[in-house]
Amino acid sequence: MVPYASGGPVDLSARLIAAPLQQGLGQPVVVENKPGAGGNIGAEFVAKSAPDGYTLVMGAIATHAINPALYPKFPYDPVRDFRHIALLVQVPNVLVVNTDVAARSVADLIRLAKAQPGRLDFASGSTGSTGHLAGELFKQLTGTYMVHIPYKGAAPAMSDLIAGRVQLMFDNLASALPHIQAGKVRALAVTTARRSTFLPDLPTLEEAGVRPFDLTTWWGLMAPAGTPQSIVDRLAAAARRALQAPELRERWRAMGSEPPAITTPAEFTAFVERERQLYAVLVKRAGATID
Amino acid sequence: MEQILHNLVIGFGVAVTPIHLLYALIGCLLGTLIGVLPGIGPVATIAMLLPITFNLSPVAALIMLAGIYYGAQYGGSTTAILVNIPGESSSVVTCLDGYQMARQGRAGPALAVAALGSFFAGCVATLLIAVAAPPLAEVALKFGPAEYFSLMVFGLIAATVLAHGSLIKAIAMVVWGLLFGLVGTDVNSGVLRFTFGVPELSDGIGFVIVAMGMFGTAEIVANIEMKEHREIFTSKVKNLWPTKDDFKNCWASVLRGTALGSCLGILPGGGALLASFGAYSLEKKVSKHPEKFGKGAIEGVAAPESANNAGAQTSFIPMLTLGIPSNAVMALMIGALMIQGIAPGPQVMNEKPELFWGLIASMWVGNLMLVVLNLPLIGMWVKLLTVPYRYLYPSILVFMAIGVYSLSNNPFDVLIMGVFGVLGYICAKLECEPAPMILGFILGPLMEENLRRAMLLSRGDPTVFFTKPISAGFMIASIILLVIVALPAIRKKREEVFVEEG
Repeated sequence: MVPYASGGPVDLSARLIAAPLQQGLGQPVVVENKPGAGGNIGAEFVAKSAPDGYTLVMGAIATHAINPALYPKFPYDPVRDFRHIALLVQVPNVLVVNTDVAARSVADLIRLAKAQPGRLDFASGSTGSTGHLAGELFKQLTGTYMVHIPYKGAAPAMSDLIAGRVQLMFDNLASALPHIQAGKVRALAVTTARRSTFLPDLPTLEEAGVRPFDLTTWWGLMAPAGTPQSIVDRLAAAARRALQAPELRERWRAMGSEPPAITTPAEFTAFVERERQLYAVLVKRAGATID
Repeated sequence: MEQILHNLVIGFGVAVTPIHLLYALIGCLLGTLIGVLPGIGPVATIAMLLPITFNLSPVAALIMLAGIYYGAQYGGSTTAILVNIPGESSSVVTCLDGYQMARQGRAGPALAVAALGSFFAGCVATLLIAVAAPPLAEVALKFGPAEYFSLMVFGLIAATVLAHGSLIKAIAMVVWGLLFGLVGTDVNSGVLRFTFGVPELSDGIGFVIVAMGMFGTAEIVANIEMKEHREIFTSKVKNLWPTKDDFKNCWASVLRGTALGSCLGILPGGGALLASFGAYSLEKKVSKHPEKFGKGAIEGVAAPESANNAGAQTSFIPMLTLGIPSNAVMALMIGALMIQGIAPGPQVMNEKPELFWGLIASMWVGNLMLVVLNLPLIGMWVKLLTVPYRYLYPSILVFMAIGVYSLSNNPFDVLIMGVFGVLGYICAKLECEPAPMILGFILGPLMEENLRRAMLLSRGDPTVFFTKPISAGFMIASIILLVIVALPAIRKKREEVFVEEG
């Protein structure tokens, strides 16, 4: 079950991993989309499905970390209502600026923002997206003020960034990379604690003194709570094997994802719990809610 | 010029290899099929086929996916003309006159003109991409929130000519559409509006659902009511082919539609859709006999069909040259490219000329295939109209329900379609046109989004709409248009011209 409309990156990776999972499990794996309410509808559906290991969901940072903090009366508990099987994809965000912005480094940008408070705009794909929250975190940690301009999706935001109507953006590495390579926008830093192998020369925000800063966009396989341990282990092993296949690795790299460091279900659960707490704080400080 | 010829030679060299011809054919066939089936759109189809394309070469994958996209544009008009159901969002306008033509027994000419107009538009747009893609892409970048907002204001005002009944009713329907468009999550604050605690409504009401309810379901209900009349509609199928007069009447419309579609298609975000509405409004304005519109004017089919096909082709320009998708289908194409290890962007044209030019040449080949494919089918489609209603209508309803359900695998959407069917029926009884409402429904949220974004960027200064040249141009044009509509003298004339039958 993919809680998003077909065609997005989560859907794409689900369809890509379905085939190797099918081989590993000796069971047909069917991808079904149930979009709506930022992924909550699909995730809730799985949370309330029979815990027999046959219904799994692509749980993502939105459905399992950000949304619970964003929506009041949230219909499920992202930690207790699920068994977290395998983290599949982790993509860093990258701080990019329009090429006319007089900032070659993060330090330049902070200076610029401090010199003219409220003059810089940062774009994001939507309110409550990682791009938005990364920007809010950046503002808090650096004591700057910039105006958030939400778009409907990262693509039109990138378009306005290239045209110079907005000055910066914390975009997903995969979608920003071609524009960075083409020289249409300038990358200043990645949002992860470690540098990305895609842009090894690009410093991290933490290296630039903005810390603690370790944000990624992630998603992975989850099952309803109550799924027996043996099934969870079997699925996790199959997912691990699938991720190691060189062909899939290549596809994953094309999506800007490096193999996740987290490989066991227990680690994944702890990770989801950490992320949820992080975003609960972040969303609260950003003052964003959906009611 | 020589460079372009050289490039086109490369392109055709790639496109006419047997394997690529095969994939273009598969794409066109699939596209036509999903276009004809109401509700099942190219986005879902392409998404489902993406994993298959990984085993193809990038060129073959792109050729097939592109074929599905413009094939669907062709197929969508078929359902619109025959049964008044917009198979694709861009064929809403085709319903207006296409269906009336079918009722008069002229479904054949309507289908033929739609196909030929689309073919012509496709050829011109393909040529345009080949000649001027990079500079045109720069134009697309010039359109920011302020420019979009002004363009849409202009579109909305121009849309009042869409109605052929009372002006007040048309405005009421536009406003109604705007209000329905507000349902869902506010882009700026993330606040849910008019959702009444129903999570299914938090992403707004789907356009396809509204269009199918207002046009399709309502039409079927209204037809069941007319027991005696409906038999006539099938028996008077006249010629299958357009007459000489038809061609004479519509060639200029095809040209205008193509021009408008090519321009608007380049703009990201609903360009192609605006194009078909815009082309229809334009035709009605310049026509010597605007009273025929809405009653089966062939120009009313030719112009929007040419426009939406031209728009569909030129929407590839920002994707191919900038790496920026102008709609969901283009976003999927970028996904397909990235999975193949090709970063879409300006460098594609230089680094992978065989991909870039191959795709462009294949668009032309695909358009040719579609005409060859569709013209002989016209006879068959028209025969479909002779299927007795007691078989035809239930099966259409079933297809619509399946299509709407497949949008997000949620029965709630089918329910909503039923609600809009009832509303559509009431509107038909009150002689309120659904087309202005659909336009309001599409443009409303876009206008709001761009207005607020423009205001955010200008820090609340409303003069941006007049200080930016492109935006100011649209605003001035809107004001002029408004004055023309509002001037009492002209208004009186308008009522004479647009008066309803009976």
